[in-house]
Amino acid sequence: MVEINVHEEACRGCKMCVDICPTKVFAFDEEKRLCVVEHRDDCIACLSCAYLCPSGALRHEDYHIVKNFYRDLAFCAKMEKFI
Amino acid sequence: MSTIPINLEWLSDCSGCHVAIVDLHEKILAVLESVTIQRCPVLTDVKDYPKAKLGLVSGAIRTEHDRHAAIEMRKSCDLIIAWGSCAVYGGIAGAGNVHSRQEIIDAVYTGNKTTGTHTPPTREVSALEPSVSPLDSVIDVDLYLPGCAPHPAFVFDALLALLEGRSPRTATGESVCARCRRKMEKSDVDRIRKNSEGVPDPDRCFLSQGYLCMGSVTLDRCMSPCPLNGIPCSGCAGATMQVLTEPNRDIRTEIAERMSRLTEIPREAIVREIERTAKTHYSYTMATPMIGEKPTFLIQKWTDEERDDYEQDHNH
Repeated sequence: MVEINVHEEACRGCKMCVDICPTKVFAFDEEKRLCVVEHRDDCIACLSCAYLCPSGALRHEDYHIVKNFYRDLAFCAKMEKFI
Repeated sequence: MSTIPINLEWLSDCSGCHVAIVDLHEKILAVLESVTIQRCPVLTDVKDYPKAKLGLVSGAIRTEHDRHAAIEMRKSCDLIIAWGSCAVYGGIAGAGNVHSRQEIIDAVYTGNKTTGTHTPPTREVSALEPSVSPLDSVIDVDLYLPGCAPHPAFVFDALLALLEGRSPRTATGESVCARCRRKMEKSDVDRIRKNSEGVPDPDRCFLSQGYLCMGSVTLDRCMSPCPLNGIPCSGCAGATMQVLTEPNRDIRTEIAERMSRLTEIPREAIVREIERTAKTHYSYTMATPMIGEKPTFLIQKWTDEERDDYEQDHNH
């Protein structure tokens, strides 16, 4: 089961995840101005929300990782060295 | 207690990274209990490269001397950290790659209206390399610590982790927006504003107000001081992991994607404006192949177009 973690401190309340999710996983808490994971079961792990999130506040766990064949391999080789 | 010897070196940069060490304030005492600073251009008078466990190298490879110093540091240190955005990506000196060496020498020495002599130096000043490049184009780098300068909290965290023998916390996916407290909300703004235009609302996201801000495409290595104090992010810590890993994602398209969703400004207009001001918006990272060699990064074309437009406007 895909886990979606929202880093609430980092969420800027832009609603872009709500708009882009193809399966309507997110709701928006108007009072706190935060996105809320409302239908986790519907997540298909397309990661559109994580890519669009301006602050990088969304993290997915427990999903099947598909490696993009067009990644920049030179950078990927040193990615773990970025501190 | 025995201490760990470290060397610091300063290639082509502004000295800000070295000042960041001083900005550790009293925390530097905790670091100094465990390390002995040997070579450090701002603190010690050591001219050679003593053997050291750890070497921090700031600055880009711009001159032949930079190359020599980088190689000496690699020989003398067991572990090398590329320290600051100039060492990691080439930094703002990288804007020099839009010009030839001769153009730079002509502008600085030969044709400079504010200097008395008009001849380039032939001694003591090191010759320029053909292009500006990051540290890892010359030597192997063990760790990268981007930031301009990296906030003392990250420098302290990295040094302490290495001293205690644990791995430093690797960069997270969070951007400058993650610590900015401005409200990012949809607006009916329909044109891009210059930074000098009007007074931005201090509680609202710059993008929502039509100002170009690089927060969403910039790695958080700073604690977001600029947007928290009324200045849009200029991207000094370099691009986020998703821009660096994926050749088809880029600084301008990622900003345009988000800004066009927040405002009424068309995506294409935002992309074009960032291309028009590319020297500003790519200033910290254009010298690294990770950005500069992206197939869609055409800075020479963009700057030529901008110059043609400018000349056309001013000839009429």
